[in-house]
Amino acid sequence: MLKLIGSILLLLATTGIGFVFAGKLAARPKQIRRLIHALAILETEIGYGSRNLATACSHIGKRNLENISELFHQMSLRLTTMDGAATYECLKLAVQDWWPTTAMKSSEKEVFLQFCKTLGKSDRHDQLAHLALVKQNLQVEEQKAREEQIQYEKMVRTLGVLTGALLIILLY
Amino acid sequence: MDLKPIYQVLPLSIRNRIQSLPRTILSGLEEVRIRQDRPLEVIAAGKTWFVSSNQQLKLDPRDSVLPTREECHKLLNLISNHSLYALEEELRLGYITVEGGHRIGLAGKVVTEGGKVRHVRDVTAFNIRIARQIKGVGKALLSSIVDQDRIKNLLIVSPPGCGKTTLLRDLARLVSIGEGCSARKVGIVDERSEIAGCVAGVPQHDIGPRTDVLDACPKAEGMMMLIRSMSPEVLVVDEIGRREDADAIHEAIYAGVHLFTTAHGSSIQEVRKRPILRELIEEEVFERIVVLSRRSGPGTIEAVYDGKCQLIRSTTCLS
Repeated sequence: MLKLIGSILLLLATTGIGFVFAGKLAARPKQIRRLIHALAILETEIGYGSRNLATACSHIGKRNLENISELFHQMSLRLTTMDGAATYECLKLAVQDWWPTTAMKSSEKEVFLQFCKTLGKSDRHDQLAHLALVKQNLQVEEQKAREEQIQYEKMVRTLGVLTGALLIILLY
Repeated sequence: MDLKPIYQVLPLSIRNRIQSLPRTILSGLEEVRIRQDRPLEVIAAGKTWFVSSNQQLKLDPRDSVLPTREECHKLLNLISNHSLYALEEELRLGYITVEGGHRIGLAGKVVTEGGKVRHVRDVTAFNIRIARQIKGVGKALLSSIVDQDRIKNLLIVSPPGCGKTTLLRDLARLVSIGEGCSARKVGIVDERSEIAGCVAGVPQHDIGPRTDVLDACPKAEGMMMLIRSMSPEVLVVDEIGRREDADAIHEAIYAGVHLFTTAHGSSIQEVRKRPILRELIEEEVFERIVVLSRRSGPGTIEAVYDGKCQLIRSTTCLS
């Protein structure tokens, strides 16, 4: 009886783990998409509104973009409270603090940080060019993430169940 | 005098130095000059001082604080809010107006395109000019420019730093509230954001309740825009001198609008040598010409002339 309960718990646990991993795989392209969407807003804030970076970021931070809002909120906060430290330093700190809380991986983080290096440094025309570039690069990442999702999501989910089953067979 | 907006843009290290200066200096502060790797300079009450490393004010530049490259970078970051793209126009003109109407002049390496200035890169010198609104300085002049409730077209002639803009601003305010005359609608074309010191379109100085401002607008175009859009009775414009300004002034004056304006110069003779101004003066466009100097402090009225350049008043101190 005890064995049976134990195996059911084990099965539930491994299935759960499988679902968590699968969920992350599914969340990643969605989050990248939202990041691209946030950058599109930044594009209008810079191109049309000509607002400064801190204000633009805080505007985006107030939008309902789920966890992306938090990133921009943090960016705006760092920009205004770090005694004029280099723009990239402020942004980098915000990004590094926030990134582990997401489903996104290091490849899109690199793309985003690379873009942060150019932010605020040049005239509007140049800023818009960089924004277009980073959006394009993120779209590539999104595509890759989506392919990964299609390829592995189901597999990870089944793997969870199957690992549980295997362990039960081995231990029973 | 509120120096808070100035402190906000200074990096902590420099802010501490400025804040710990004697109160008498701070209350008379006119300029703070920050140059990379060169002595930190403050100008207060017409005198210039170097700030030494132990917060003493000295005339000798040796042993004074040298702002570093990093501090200059921080300063620019704070001034621009990390967004050079939002300051394209300001970087082209070489100065930025911050909250409180204070202005920060910039110098460094200039980038040109097709012979025209595009922006200032590698900003290494900052001149923080503290804007001071002195309410009431214009009162001494009111009797000369208002005659039986008719406002006369005025030209203020003065070298830089003699209170020309301060006087102009106060006159705009006085006419707007209707002191010494009935209240008029006033329109200010503030090409260099000096008169009203607008930040995001909001005037930082008191310019009166009936005053409209076109901020950062080219003078000639701005005058025509205001006449069309806001129907001002008095137009206030700083530093005229170009051909298109003269054309716009003609349009304005013959549309029945009165004009307060200024020109750089130390005497009426000097101003009359400048081609556009000479024409305007000869046409008797200005019914009063006021010459300012710093003889007994900024804003000393040296002389008041009528439209035919006849002297009608000389030397009185405004403050």
